[in-house]
Amino acid sequence: MDGLVFPAGAEGGPFGRRQRHARAGRVPVILVTGFLGAGKTTLVKALLDSPEGAGTVVVVNEFGDIGIDQALLAPSAESRVALLGNGCVCCAARSDLEQTFRTLLTDRARGLIPPFQRVVLELSGADDPTTVLQTFLNMRALGREYHLQAVVAVVDAATGALALADNPEARRQIALADRMVLTKADLASEAEIAALTAVLRDLNPAAPLLTAQHGRIGPDLLLADSDLALPNLLVAEVVHRPDLATFTLDLDRPISWTGLTAALGLLCELRGADLLRIKGLVRLDGCQGPVVIHAVRHLLHKPVELAAWPVGAASRLVFITQGRITRDQVSALFAVVGELTG
Amino acid sequence: MSLARADAAPAAIWNFRLLSHHELNGFGGMGEGLSIQIAKDGRRILWAAHESAPKNFTGIDVTDPRNPRIVVQTDLPASHMRSNSLEVTGDIMAVAYQCKTYGQQPAGFELFDVSKPEAPRSIAFFDASGPYSRGVHALWFCDGEYVHLAAGAADFQSRHPNDDQFYRIIDVRNLSKPTEVGRWWLPGQREGDAAPPLTRHVYRDNGFRAHNTNVYPQRPDRCYLGYIDAGMLILDISDKSQPKVISRWDNSPPYAGMTHTVLPLFERKLLVVADESNVDNAADWPKLIWIVDARDEANPVPIATCPMPPVADFKNRGGRFGAHNLHENVPLPTSWFSDQIIIGTFFNGGLRAFDISDPYSPREVAHFVPEAPRGSPAASIQLNDVFVDERGIVYVVDRFAGGLYILEMDF
Repeated sequence: MDGLVFPAGAEGGPFGRRQRHARAGRVPVILVTGFLGAGKTTLVKALLDSPEGAGTVVVVNEFGDIGIDQALLAPSAESRVALLGNGCVCCAARSDLEQTFRTLLTDRARGLIPPFQRVVLELSGADDPTTVLQTFLNMRALGREYHLQAVVAVVDAATGALALADNPEARRQIALADRMVLTKADLASEAEIAALTAVLRDLNPAAPLLTAQHGRIGPDLLLADSDLALPNLLVAEVVHRPDLATFTLDLDRPISWTGLTAALGLLCELRGADLLRIKGLVRLDGCQGPVVIHAVRHLLHKPVELAAWPVGAASRLVFITQGRITRDQVSALFAVVGELTG
Repeated sequence: MSLARADAAPAAIWNFRLLSHHELNGFGGMGEGLSIQIAKDGRRILWAAHESAPKNFTGIDVTDPRNPRIVVQTDLPASHMRSNSLEVTGDIMAVAYQCKTYGQQPAGFELFDVSKPEAPRSIAFFDASGPYSRGVHALWFCDGEYVHLAAGAADFQSRHPNDDQFYRIIDVRNLSKPTEVGRWWLPGQREGDAAPPLTRHVYRDNGFRAHNTNVYPQRPDRCYLGYIDAGMLILDISDKSQPKVISRWDNSPPYAGMTHTVLPLFERKLLVVADESNVDNAADWPKLIWIVDARDEANPVPIATCPMPPVADFKNRGGRFGAHNLHENVPLPTSWFSDQIIIGTFFNGGLRAFDISDPYSPREVAHFVPEAPRGSPAASIQLNDVFVDERGIVYVVDRFAGGLYILEMDF
């Protein structure tokens, strides 16, 4: 069979070209989540008004009949605002989401809209981001053209605690986030902010948490790539809530691709619906650089081998799960599969 | 005179970072010869051939790519000459000389000692002039021993005037006395050939003649030859005195000829073949970069082309639109190597990089389309040639006026 396929080449690995960044030539997408009134639009608008925000396309999911988000975004005429139809992006409008993102590419190719550098997708407060994440991981949907750069969750200091207590969607948004922004801090007491911060840290121990000043944050908080080389913050399993858990699995030794896919595959088969997100860099047998692993529920994105390990990075997977999947179970599964696959 | 600027042809940049731009003292019309020398004092000198008279070549200190500085800029001895192509190996530079019409002189190539970059010193001149020759259009000089030419010769009369240049191998191991050791032309090209006269292309007769003559240390017994309207060829040059054809692949007609570059990716068993656009306003569209399956070198099979931006968006910007030069993985320590990324110039389509890790499905991963340079008669950018050094710094030049653009890759 050797003659029937093209060799990877001197510069290629099992997964193709070793890339400087996971995104390579794809368009970065920044997902902004947060409950209604959390201040997402204010943050996005501030980005559009900054020099760093030039070349940004904003896709917003219009909520309700009034289109209030459109009205707020419209003055930033430099960037194009595309509105989806009414309702929820993740449910009824998922095909619209794909269509909107495809139209952006074809319009850009045809010169109908100016060249753009990135897309900010603002989800409505009630959206479950996992469905949207899957759309960007699926090579048959948008994963070939777009790269999920980061999930940024916006939390209102005044009402966030209530939203998190009452809504599983709000908790999932926090758990899935790569970065978190606390807004309207001037409307809450120090004690309230401390209590809310504790809740956020329970749900998401590792993501950077910043406080917006008058609705503004440094542009990097929105624009930077998600940090896959996570600091070693998740040393212990964190299961303070019955519905959500976040834990890491350190892979001290290189793992084979067969072993990794067998372990993840079995986990997916048994509990795929409860795997909200798996992300990390893995040292794989036969690969020089780290391999980016990114999965949401049953869907594993095509692996990308990076040219080099980021400074301080380790071979490690972060699991964000629901339904009481524990670190011990996953660790045991990887251990057994590792032994069986040698 | 009015200049079309950014409004007419907006600058676009994606996954490249522009580090600097140098208009080369107002002589920014550059050819297709770019090569890097590391001087003995450690300076990194980019040598660049000019597209046409009055300038011959320019040496630019690019040690700091954000601050390029000209160290020398030379003049051609005659206005009917153009240098167009050059290559540097160690401290020796070979520069091609082509004249406007047949019989003019000096036509051939010149060897320079550039050990003192400020003062290039001529070592030898190889004469390729003749009553039916315009001299040397392009050359390849990477092993310090042989110069591979697309050239005419004093003793070569082609049947058609467009067919004057063929493949010549020149031994320069004695630098002061370059000597021809081999040559090849397309049977039927030369007056007196037993083969019948060549069938001319109807759309546009660009000629049946050599362009790029690439030879790599992985296969020193092969020449990868772009032959304009005759397509591409792989030659066996294990006996340099008698090159033999191993295979030929010709996309034209129905395409519009001008096969320019054949870049072998040895470990992947692929060839990357580039056409050249040479008609304004995309009248010869599409001029493409082809991915060719070379697992059997005797039977090259095209399997894909690199995606182009929409012709409708570019054809009226002025000048040419379509493929031209590639970064050719020049086998020198100062050259970047990739068998996954192909980088090429597309005249007003700018500079474009393609990921060919899946050879059946090349994808564009970066582009750079600068504004129309000041004073360009094309009123648009006309990016002509590209070279990437081993640091991954990208040097790209405009054909008419823009000079040199230096970029970083970010993909």
